[in-house]
Amino acid sequence: MLKVKLSQSVPMPIQINLECKPGELHALVGPSGSGKTTVLRTIAGLRQPNSGKIECNSETWFEGDDSGGAHKSLSAAQRSCGFLFQQYALFPHLNALENVCIPLQNSGLNPNERKNIAREWLGHMGIGELAERMPHQLSGGQQQRVALARALARKPKILLLDEPFSAIDTPTRQSLYKTLAELRKDLNIPILLVTHDLREADLLADQITVIDQGIGLQTAAPQTLFQKPRNSRVAELVGISNMFHGVFDAGSLTWDGCKQIFSVADKGKIPPKARVAWVIPQSGLSIHNIPSNISVPAVVEKMSSLGQIAAIQLRLEGSQNTIEWEASSAEVRRLGMEVGSQMHIELDGKQIHIMPLRPINDPRRFIDH
Amino acid sequence: MDIDAILLSLKLAFWTMALILPFGIWVAHRLMSLNKSRPWIEAALALPLVLPPTVLGYYFLVGFGGKSFLGFPLVFSFFGILVASLIVNLPFAIQPIQRAFEAINPEILEAAQVSGLSNWQIFRLIELPLAWRGITSAAVLTFAHTLGEFGVVLMVGGAIPGETKTVSIAIYDKVQSFDTAGAGMLALLLLAISLIAIGISYGIFSRNPSQQHGGRA
Repeated sequence: MLKVKLSQSVPMPIQINLECKPGELHALVGPSGSGKTTVLRTIAGLRQPNSGKIECNSETWFEGDDSGGAHKSLSAAQRSCGFLFQQYALFPHLNALENVCIPLQNSGLNPNERKNIAREWLGHMGIGELAERMPHQLSGGQQQRVALARALARKPKILLLDEPFSAIDTPTRQSLYKTLAELRKDLNIPILLVTHDLREADLLADQITVIDQGIGLQTAAPQTLFQKPRNSRVAELVGISNMFHGVFDAGSLTWDGCKQIFSVADKGKIPPKARVAWVIPQSGLSIHNIPSNISVPAVVEKMSSLGQIAAIQLRLEGSQNTIEWEASSAEVRRLGMEVGSQMHIELDGKQIHIMPLRPINDPRRFIDH
Repeated sequence: MDIDAILLSLKLAFWTMALILPFGIWVAHRLMSLNKSRPWIEAALALPLVLPPTVLGYYFLVGFGGKSFLGFPLVFSFFGILVASLIVNLPFAIQPIQRAFEAINPEILEAAQVSGLSNWQIFRLIELPLAWRGITSAAVLTFAHTLGEFGVVLMVGGAIPGETKTVSIAIYDKVQSFDTAGAGMLALLLLAISLIAIGISYGIFSRNPSQQHGGRA
C-alpha cells in the first residue's frame, strides 16, 4: 500500500493526499502545469517536499514538516520505485539488454544471472529479439517497452508512470495499454499513472485524482468522478459539458433561466437557498419530439455527425442555457431532428448532481463538499 | 633532427595529459554541482587562455624559485616544466569535459537514480561513458597544446638539452643560430602532429551526438 500526503506552499503549492493499494492503478489527472509530474517525482525521491509523509508497505520513505524540514528522506536509489519517463530516458550508450541490466547492478547476482533476468523481462515485453539493439535503433514503442522492462527489472515496490503514452502513435499506444493491463495482474504493486488524457485515465485507472494548481481536488473511481464531481472546477477539468447553475433549497433545484423545478437529493451539506452548480450525465437526459408535463422545450441549434454518432446542441427556449447531447444517427432520424426543429428535453432529477458554487478566489472551492 | 627535444616534448605531453585528465574530470564534475562560486572558479581556471605566457611564466618563476611550494626548487627542471604545463593546460582539459557532462540529459541521470545506482555507479557507468567524447577531446587538446607550448616552458625551464629543451624551444634555438632547415623540419613535425590531433578532436565532435551521447533534447 502506498500512502502519500504532501504539503507545501513554495516554490509551487502542493496539497495532495492519496492512497494506492497493491494491484490498483491510480491516475493523476490535470491540465499542463498542474503539478502531476512534480507529485510523481516527489514520490520517487527525485525532489523533496517541504512537509508531508510518503509511506510504502509500512516503510517511511519521507517524513517532514515545515518547522523541522525532513526528519527522514530516503534517496531515489533506496526507494525501490520503477519509474517510466515520458521520453523513455534510456541510457543511449547501452543496448536494450544492458539498459535492463542496470537496475540489477546491486542485486548481488553475477553478470550472467543479471543478463538472464533482463532477457526474461524483454521477453515479457515482447521484444526479446531486440536485446542487442541500441536505443536509437528502436522505435518509440519499442523504446518504451525497454524502459518498462528496466523499470520492473528489480521488482520495485511501486510503479510510477509519467505520461508514458503521450509520445507514441495510437496503434502502439493500444498495444501498450494491453501490456500494462496484463502486467497489473502479475505485479500486484501500486501503480501511479500521470496523464492529461481523461479518456486514458478512464480506460486504465481504478481511481483518479484530479489535480489543479498542485492541489488534489477529488479522488474517486472514474464512474463517480464523471457523474458526481466534487465541485464545479472538477466538473470543468473532467470535461463535463452539461454543467449549469441554479438555486437549491430543501431538495428542490431551480434552474437559472428555466421555470422547471427539479426534485434533487443531496447529502444535506448544501445550505438553504444556496447558489449551486449542477451537472447531469448523458444517461439522465432524454429527448422527445412531443411535449410532456415534465419536459422543457428546446430548439436544435447545432448538429454535427461523427460517423455513427451525432453531437447535438439544444438551446432552451427563452434562455441562454444550452445542452449537449450525443445520440446515434438512427435516433436522430427517428426524432426527425434538424437544425431549428423544436424538441422536448426530460431531465432525470435522480441523476442530477449538485455542487457548491464558490467565488473564484475562495480557497475552499478546491476542497469543499 | 633534434631527437632529444622531440622525445622530451613527447614525454612532457604524455605526462601532462596523463596527470591532468583525472584531475580535469574531477574538477569538471564538481563544477556541475556548484552554483554561486562557479563563475569565479571557471574564470580562474580559464585564466591561462587569456594571460600572456610571459605573465604566467613570471609567476611560475617567482613561485617555483627558491624552495617553491613543494619545499625544493622547481625551476630549470623537467618536473618544473611539467607542473607549469599542468597549470597552463587546465582550461584545455576541463572545458571540453565540463561541456560533455553538461550535455548529458538530466532525465538519464534521474533514470539511473531510480534504477538504484549509487552516485559512484552513476558516474562510472553512465556519466563517464557518455562524456567520452569530451574526455578524448581534452586529452588530444592537452597533448597538442603541450607539444607546442613555448613561452612558459622557456621562462620556467630555460633550454637545458634533455631536461627542459622541448621541440618548440629547439626550433627557436635553431632559428637563432640560422639553422633554418633544422627549424623547418621540427616546425613541420609539430604542424603535422597538431593538425592530426585537432582533426581527431573535430572528428569526434562532428558525429551525431544524440545517438551515443544522450544529449539534451
